[in-house]
Amino acid sequence: MPPKRGRPRRQVQVEAAAARAHIDPELIAKRTKRHLDELERSNYTESSTLFASADDEDQDRGPAARGRARQTISDKREHGRKKKSTMNIRTAVLYRKNLATLIDESGIAALPGPTYLTAAVPPPNEPPRLICSVCGYWGKYKCKKCAMPYCDLNCEAVHDETRCERRVL
Amino acid sequence: MGSPVRNKNNGAFTIKCGLTNSGDSSSPRLVTNAVVRSKGDKATYIGHEFDRCRDFSSLHYRLPFEKGYLVDWDAQKAVWDGIFSEEVLRVNTTESSLLITEPYFNLPNLQEVYDQFVFEEYEFASYHRCSPAALIPYGNLYGSSSSAPPECMLVVDSGFSFTHVVPIMGSSIVWSAVKRLDIGGKLLTNQLKELVSFRQWNMMDETYIMSHVKETCCYVSTSYRRDMEICRENPRKNDIVQEYILPDFSANRQGHIRKAEDVGETDQILYMNNERFSVPETMFYPSDIGLQQLGLPGAIAYSISLLPNDVQGMFWANIGLIGGTTKIPGFRDRLLHELRSLAPIDVEVIIHTAADAMTEAYKSALAFARSGDFSSYVVTRAEYQESGSNASRRRFKDWKSTDNEKCPDPYPRKGKAPMQESDDERISIPTRGGRARNRTGPSGQRRR
Ligand SMILES: [Zn+2]
Ligand SMILES: [Zn+2]
Repeated sequence: MPPKRGRPRRQVQVEAAAARAHIDPELIAKRTKRHLDELERSNYTESSTLFASADDEDQDRGPAARGRARQTISDKREHGRKKKSTMNIRTAVLYRKNLATLIDESGIAALPGPTYLTAAVPPPNEPPRLICSVCGYWGKYKCKKCAMPYCDLNCEAVHDETRCERRVL
Repeated sequence: MGSPVRNKNNGAFTIKCGLTNSGDSSSPRLVTNAVVRSKGDKATYIGHEFDRCRDFSSLHYRLPFEKGYLVDWDAQKAVWDGIFSEEVLRVNTTESSLLITEPYFNLPNLQEVYDQFVFEEYEFASYHRCSPAALIPYGNLYGSSSSAPPECMLVVDSGFSFTHVVPIMGSSIVWSAVKRLDIGGKLLTNQLKELVSFRQWNMMDETYIMSHVKETCCYVSTSYRRDMEICRENPRKNDIVQEYILPDFSANRQGHIRKAEDVGETDQILYMNNERFSVPETMFYPSDIGLQQLGLPGAIAYSISLLPNDVQGMFWANIGLIGGTTKIPGFRDRLLHELRSLAPIDVEVIIHTAADAMTEAYKSALAFARSGDFSSYVVTRAEYQESGSNASRRRFKDWKSTDNEKCPDPYPRKGKAPMQESDDERISIPTRGGRARNRTGPSGQRRR
């Protein structure tokens, strides 16, 4: 079974549901993407989808986020060896690049064979299961305002009070 | 073998390291691969120093790895410096050989930085770098050390950052069929943090504690629908729910599951109900969190479908699990059950597990490093000084960007077997003597 080209069925379904609720499917896709990015963080402390709090960008970056690091952690301990590092090492330590930049610079996008960029598992064929965003049980219904699933009146109330974004973005 | 070999399974969250000449011990030293700040201790711990941490609340992690790849070399150097020092391995790197793992499809520009650190900073005498699955043929995951490993095997490596399905044929990885599922232990812990923070206590700041809750309480359900109904009936009292007593670091008490005799009324209790199985379920249904990828069973079936028809049955019968995330109770049973329904009716599905999936790659590395022909796989410092990273591109047989070129190897080695074309998939045949125990392998020649 080759990877499916074109839009997976799930996407179509979400879009249909969103159309009924007058929600731009692109906004829903964006919300999902943002949530998945949050789940990748090393110090995931603020959830934009859960608590609708402002999204402070990942603080993991440390002082080396942009450009040259002002101070390095690797020279904090001596371990008895005094050695002058080569230019290659000093460059690697002082100038941190994020993964997206490194992928760009690696040139793997131009390679014909398998690479990190081609290795991801393809999307599923069947539509997603709908899970109540409040309690985790099956979510039969969808919020008209934000398209999050819920299972019953109780969870709908909790969703409306605490969690509904009222708008998708 | 004279000089000691340092093995390092350089995981994104846990480094498993040790020396080959450390007697019969096959247990690695485990080092947290992070720079961790503890508010309670008012201290910053680098790598191995984290063993001294006492207050695990609100830890801040600085991880050298991002999405499974080494991007923060400052933090990584700090951790490695500690490991090589008197405080951990006490090795003279200039007289030692190093075996280190790298992520699957490691970026070519990052591979060069690995080379630079190994030879320019630590000045190792020689080293070999490969992915964890490439070491598995040397170990015992598929049987005792006296028998040769199977000709075809499918290694599932599920760690901290992601999960890979890695087919190996004749001890070489078939890169065109290697598939990545973007779910690992880190994502599952974050997902659990999110769920309990919304439903009970705000634990968003408590990665360490929630990781322990996950390891203590989570399991993979073999009947998701049934378990979901059980949890719905009475969320505070049913056959699944557990009461996890949150830790009290000021009283030096770790978190644990409440037992009948525990009565402390001031205890903060975290109810683990459907959270116990809905979190690991994400490995099987990534679409539950909106991730557009096949679940692990589908990923395995897909990978096998990319392999030559006549050997697919051998892959189904030789699936092996490594990596910490495969240790979740119920993981193997659920996977077997689902694979059984995906596999052709006439093939046998067999899943091999290790005593400790987290350290299996390390143990295999140890066997490789101790084997007679390890020395023929290394790049030496002199070779690096002469030709830089070209030396490792020539020598290491794991994934490298030159594997992608349709033209022949620009640096052909003597005895190298030609690339085979089959269904447009390139499978590289082992080029050298290969495994110590490989008596049936396709490459008759052995070095020695
Ligand atoms: Zn609900
Ligand atoms: Zn809503």
